[in-house]
Amino acid sequence: MKMDRNNPDLQQEELKNNPFGVPEGYFEGFAERLQQRIKEEEASKVPVRKIGTVTRWMAAAAAVLAAALITTSIIRFTTSESAEGLYPDLAILEQMQVLDDDRYLYELLGEEAPELNEDEAFASQAIEYLAINDVEMDLIFE
Amino acid sequence: MQEWDDREIIEGSKIQGKEEIAFNQLVLKYQERLYWHIRKMVIDHDDSDDVLQNTMIKIWRSLSSFRSESGLYTWLYRIATNEALSFLKQKKKKAFAPWVDVEGQMSESLEADPWFNGDEIQLKLQQAILKLPEKQRIVFNMKYFDQVKYEEMSKILGTSVGALKASYHHAVKKIEAMLEKD
Repeated sequence: MKMDRNNPDLQQEELKNNPFGVPEGYFEGFAERLQQRIKEEEASKVPVRKIGTVTRWMAAAAAVLAAALITTSIIRFTTSESAEGLYPDLAILEQMQVLDDDRYLYELLGEEAPELNEDEAFASQAIEYLAINDVEMDLIFE
Repeated sequence: MQEWDDREIIEGSKIQGKEEIAFNQLVLKYQERLYWHIRKMVIDHDDSDDVLQNTMIKIWRSLSSFRSESGLYTWLYRIATNEALSFLKQKKKKAFAPWVDVEGQMSESLEADPWFNGDEIQLKLQQAILKLPEKQRIVFNMKYFDQVKYEEMSKILGTSVGALKASYHHAVKKIEAMLEKD
């Protein structure tokens, strides 16, 4: 097919023909290759566990607290004048074990924490007291 | 096995145990049409194969929740168009430098493409099409090669009929000018 260069006419029907080709048997084998890929992808998929609203809120709260903790630690670390300045920061990190106490999460969520029995209440208050007063808890728990 | 119509495919995809057969029917019915639509956009056969597979996987994952408000064909074309566009976007990103002319590279690769069967003027036409802006290129290909009606195209591309007509008109003028120049 030759086209008049001085009068290019897109209306020529031949120009509308598909100029592309595919390897032989491409379409015949496509469905099978696709099924294979789907099977492989589904086999390698990691199951996603659905989480409840409370868990989601708790996870979000924990993430916020972790971010705050890291930021504080970085600021303290970068502003400390000597290597010794590092120790209080490590102590703080250790003391943050108090965050394992569920009551903080309940407070953040604006929900009432379940009642603690006498022993649990005492242990919780003791940990809190030690944390506030810069006592390294590893020494106690050893 | 007799070919299923669109309604049978959609209904079958919602029935437990029939989903795979329904999907297989869809693949067999639409693979060629979608492939050619993608191929005209991404040009290279291997790239088109990747994009078609990605398109089909997306369809497989959402077919059972497809609501027949828009036709099946329209929905499939829309997914294929989006997949091809995001592939081209990724390709441009991978080129790292913004001055790298991806369409220019595609145009050059056409000349050495073993799966391009067109003659000299068809090559020039394809190269001219590749110089069009992306959206104009899609409109031109759909209208010129596939004879898709503007109303149908409007549903697929989410653009008004008027804008599509204007887009096609501009594309034709540009291509004619480019072919004349050559």
